[in-house]
Amino acid sequence: MKYSYYPGCSLHTTAKEFDISTKVVMEELGIELKELQDWSCCGGSVAAGVSHDVGMAMAARNVALAQKQNLDLLASCSGCYNKSARAAKALENETEKDRINAILSDMGISVSDYNIRVRNVVDVLVNDLDIASKIKKPLQGLKVACYYGCLLTRPADITGWDSPVFPMSMDKLAQICGAEVVDFRSKTKCCGGPILVSKQEVAFELTKKLLDEAKFLGADCIVLACPLCATNLELRQPDIEKKYNVSYNLPILYITEIIGLALGIKPGKLGLNKHIISPKPVLTKLGI
Amino acid sequence: MTTKKKRCFFGMKVDRQLDGDKMNREFLNKVLEEGGEGAAIASCMQCGTCSGGCTNIERMDMSPRTLVLMVQRGEWEKVLKSNMLWLCSSCYICTSRCPRGVRPSDVIEAVKAIAIRQGVENDSTRFNQIFVELVQKRGILFEPELMQKYGGLEAMIEQAELGIKLALKGKMSPLPDKIKNPKKFSEALEKAGKK
Repeated sequence: MKYSYYPGCSLHTTAKEFDISTKVVMEELGIELKELQDWSCCGGSVAAGVSHDVGMAMAARNVALAQKQNLDLLASCSGCYNKSARAAKALENETEKDRINAILSDMGISVSDYNIRVRNVVDVLVNDLDIASKIKKPLQGLKVACYYGCLLTRPADITGWDSPVFPMSMDKLAQICGAEVVDFRSKTKCCGGPILVSKQEVAFELTKKLLDEAKFLGADCIVLACPLCATNLELRQPDIEKKYNVSYNLPILYITEIIGLALGIKPGKLGLNKHIISPKPVLTKLGI
Repeated sequence: MTTKKKRCFFGMKVDRQLDGDKMNREFLNKVLEEGGEGAAIASCMQCGTCSGGCTNIERMDMSPRTLVLMVQRGEWEKVLKSNMLWLCSSCYICTSRCPRGVRPSDVIEAVKAIAIRQGVENDSTRFNQIFVELVQKRGILFEPELMQKYGGLEAMIEQAELGIKLALKGKMSPLPDKIKNPKKFSEALEKAGKK
């Protein structure tokens, strides 16, 4: 199987380990990824709230480029995935399609009638691939809290492959890898990502609740699939610790990283050395 | 004795919409046209499921349920003044739970865009506009520039420590990335945004 791989802005910067681990794990599992040529930013959760047409066109551009390659689009970042899937759905609606086409043709891009699917890496990993038979180093004794956030599974008419209310796909993947999954009640709560800059206090408060619960449950790390969630949970974790005078030091890992570890891939090859909060406690517990 | 205002009518709050009362189609259509096409605003029955699940409800001066009601009635001034537009984190809980397909997230998104066009200004509108402007410029976001343009020198200093950590890990490039033809991209989006 081959996919057009759309990394997006974050995976080339703050979430480099997500990019590295996606590529390494997919290769190990026999999936070929061809980076989407000349991809652009999806506009995130922000653009369509400034202008609907601008937001939709930003996201649809990448879908149109993938159509040209005749390949389904695969995104790791929850945001890129969600916005691309939304654009792909909009292109099935005649009115929306005309509005989007007009803008894309100004960019010199044509939308073909060949419909592609937009997939997220978690969806492919849990629904298409057999990972269980390839586990070399089960993550015995590791307690993880799987955090889904918003855009990975909501709204269901755009995503549809896991429950928006009680998603289990990452929990299943972690279990296949041999990890113990804690019952993380906040798994679908929002971290406040899109309002992190303009309403920092609110985002910190929301993120703190997630860290509090994960810590309370005794999780060794939080496992997720969104760079924006990771920005709040990992990059801003020291700021939250300082503001509330608490200590977490909780590693935040991408789902592809823990799968890679279970597949027996070396941490360095998965990009685990790129974290701001050291994943060393996790590796020590696993004896790696 | 009768001067006291009636707040309830047989236990029903007076701001409750009884299917379709005071519906202002003109305003509603404007919101639909901005992008709420898929949203079934008129079919909202005011059950409040959206508000029940809302991430930031306790910080908002207007709940998602009331926002949809105000949009139905065309109470634009009230909508415009509300802080809820800028506290919404676009988490889609409301939209995934709504039993009538109203899609409150899409309604809020459309109202935000209309508000910005009508000149509403605050930290959130400023951030959102700078974000779009920078993506439009090169096709790929360059975060240090976003921080600098939004927060100025103060933000740069505050974020310096994190910036250095990221740079040392090879996670922040000093130079921005761009798509092949940013000029054409930027012109097309600018034209679309002016419509």
